[in-house]
Amino acid sequence: MSGGKAKEITKKKMNKAEFKEHCWGLAFVSPAFIGFLVFMAFPIVFAFFASLTKWNGMNSMMDNFVGLNNYIKLFADAKFWKVLLNTVIYMIGIPIGMILGLVIAVGMNRKIKGIKFLRTLYYVPVVSSLVAVAILWMWVFNYDYGLLNSIIKHVTGVHGPNWLGDEFWVKISMIIFMVWKGLGSSIILYLSGLQGIPRDLYEAAKIDGSSGWNLFRHITVPLVSPVTFYLLITGLIGGFQVFVEVLVMVPSGGLNYSAATVVFYLYDKAFGSNQMGYGSAMAFILAIFIFIVTAINFKGQDKWVKTIQ
Amino acid sequence: MKLKKASAIILATALALGGLTGCGSKSDGTTADGKKNLSVFIFANDHESPIYKGMIENWKEEHAETIGNIDVQITTQEEYSKTLTGMMTAKELPDVFYVGPESVQQFVENGYIENLQPLLDELGITTDDLVAQEALNSYRYDGSKIGTGDLYALPKDASVFAYAYNKDLFDKEGIPYPDPENPYTYDEFVEVCKQFTKDTDGDGEVDQWGCGLANQFMIQQYIWSNGASFLSDDYKTIKIDTPEFKEAFQKFVDLTVEHKVTPSVEQDASLGVYQRWLAGQEAFYACGTWDVAAFMDDETFPFEWDLCGYPTLSTGKSMTWLGTVGFCVSASSPNKKEAAELVSYLCANEDGQKELCGVVGGQSIQLPNLKSLAEGEFVSAIKDGSLPFPESVDVFFNYLSGTDKYEGRFQETTYTPNAEWFDIFFKNMDNVKNGSMTVDEFIEEFQPQMQESLDTAWESVE
Repeated sequence: MSGGKAKEITKKKMNKAEFKEHCWGLAFVSPAFIGFLVFMAFPIVFAFFASLTKWNGMNSMMDNFVGLNNYIKLFADAKFWKVLLNTVIYMIGIPIGMILGLVIAVGMNRKIKGIKFLRTLYYVPVVSSLVAVAILWMWVFNYDYGLLNSIIKHVTGVHGPNWLGDEFWVKISMIIFMVWKGLGSSIILYLSGLQGIPRDLYEAAKIDGSSGWNLFRHITVPLVSPVTFYLLITGLIGGFQVFVEVLVMVPSGGLNYSAATVVFYLYDKAFGSNQMGYGSAMAFILAIFIFIVTAINFKGQDKWVKTIQ
Repeated sequence: MKLKKASAIILATALALGGLTGCGSKSDGTTADGKKNLSVFIFANDHESPIYKGMIENWKEEHAETIGNIDVQITTQEEYSKTLTGMMTAKELPDVFYVGPESVQQFVENGYIENLQPLLDELGITTDDLVAQEALNSYRYDGSKIGTGDLYALPKDASVFAYAYNKDLFDKEGIPYPDPENPYTYDEFVEVCKQFTKDTDGDGEVDQWGCGLANQFMIQQYIWSNGASFLSDDYKTIKIDTPEFKEAFQKFVDLTVEHKVTPSVEQDASLGVYQRWLAGQEAFYACGTWDVAAFMDDETFPFEWDLCGYPTLSTGKSMTWLGTVGFCVSASSPNKKEAAELVSYLCANEDGQKELCGVVGGQSIQLPNLKSLAEGEFVSAIKDGSLPFPESVDVFFNYLSGTDKYEGRFQETTYTPNAEWFDIFFKNMDNVKNGSMTVDEFIEEFQPQMQESLDTAWESVE
């Protein structure tokens, strides 16, 4: 009742100038809103409807409605679970990247000669074209002529593994590549986190006799946890969406599909086999997985993410 | 209330404007002075693009009284099908576009392409002079089966995936050239390949091989030549467990595993068999009709070479696969008759064909579509050296027309709604080629997966 009254008051209060202002406001917001409707909301609704059909890009969606069949089929699809497992395995690179990023950032968080050059050097992979560096790494991993196997042979005298052709090593190769590609941004973010930690905390701890390791463990690590949390969330979301690296470095998906990820399989189904409906269902399941994992992370952040109060 | 109204008006105006913008690109098919407009969407490489644009421009000039604008969009082969799917979804198909035989049935059943037969009959256009009648027939559909019935497209070309050998390597090893009239038997082929396979620089590793095998493109030749096939006659059942199939498959992988006359799986992963052929490391490799210009170019392939047949298995026939893509007319085109006339011109115009086959310009990217040209100026140009082409050009025509020793077929994926079932086969073949699986184990594991995929594909169009 009181809410209704308040509304009435607001209405009465709006004069011509305010109304005009509101119109301008809406006019400015509308391009973004229309953009959202056309490029986000509509495709999402369209894809959801497509996921309930046997649409192949050519036939009529309406005549090929199959309800939840694509979803049921997907859960029974061994290949889907295999690519999901591959995708999760690749995520091993996330903590590795975070640990390396933090260690290197700590090393760089001091005044040493050429530090700016070093920081730039580490950041180069981040700003480089993903396709270009993936092609570059294809050659690094090449079985006969690759840099890696040349070094291995030179040092040990033994031929190195078939990095991109073996079911096990292809996963290791992809993890190495992803860690290398993402390291620069982890370092920069950790550096900004480190520079935000007050020096007096370290000084007080030192007076109390804390060792370097203890300083790192009890001050540095907890106080960069917001950065860690950010890297974890973005890493997981990006990890679920890995696609280009696989498409470029192992275009067939690897021996026995050992390198394929969920998005790679989704693309293969939708655009390789024209199963748009099935591909759309996979995209929805993937989105739900990402949502659940992100929600769990946000829920759990209170337990380990510390901020300076 | 006013605020709501205002926002509704803004939104409605914006959406209406968006809608109108979307409609703006759709042509009504005629110009203000009553001339007919056409749109064409195809894929082409850098060499083909100007030829097709020129042909279309010439045709437009010849029909200046009736034809207004022709909007030509040319894309790459990789992008083509995705863009076409988008056009279908948006119901904005161009008047003329490409279709492969594998899509004819679906395009017809979903009402995307027009029956060309009545239009060609009305215009008095015959297809008797086209070289590749097999390719032509692949665009016929009778309502249930591809290969018979009315024509729904005209072939832009018919390509052949023949076999080639490096003459310089044969000379170096002192081995007589293959006889194009009598393709090797499998055993003869293995023996010849063994003579090439060696370590030439003494570093302990083989660096020259008899042949390179590309799984996806070269297994069919062995399977078909042994009287087997991947699919049943109705293309609905996977038949890779027949004795003929298993034997042919075994012989194919034996070239790598047993006889070791091809690069191993690991070596293939390091440097592809195609690159090794270009580097002169393999005596035999495939040559499609589209490869001729590149192989004749010393910058790309600095060796003397010629064409020959693939080895024969139990049928005694050398087999390979043919390819084709055709021009069709959209069922929603407002100017179907003009579009059909343009299609016929693009497929059979002599001047255009001369450029495409290299009689003019000297770069061959396809065989001539016209019999008269193929048997006349094309062969003469090869003989007098004005068209750089391998000596045994007849190998292409033998596969295309079929003889007692040669036969060309369309890939079995041509007749199925998609090729996923075949992808499962060739993408996993390395398990056998690297020795981690036997042929029987491979078939036991992957045949059910292939069948499931094929069933799904058929279900999707039924």
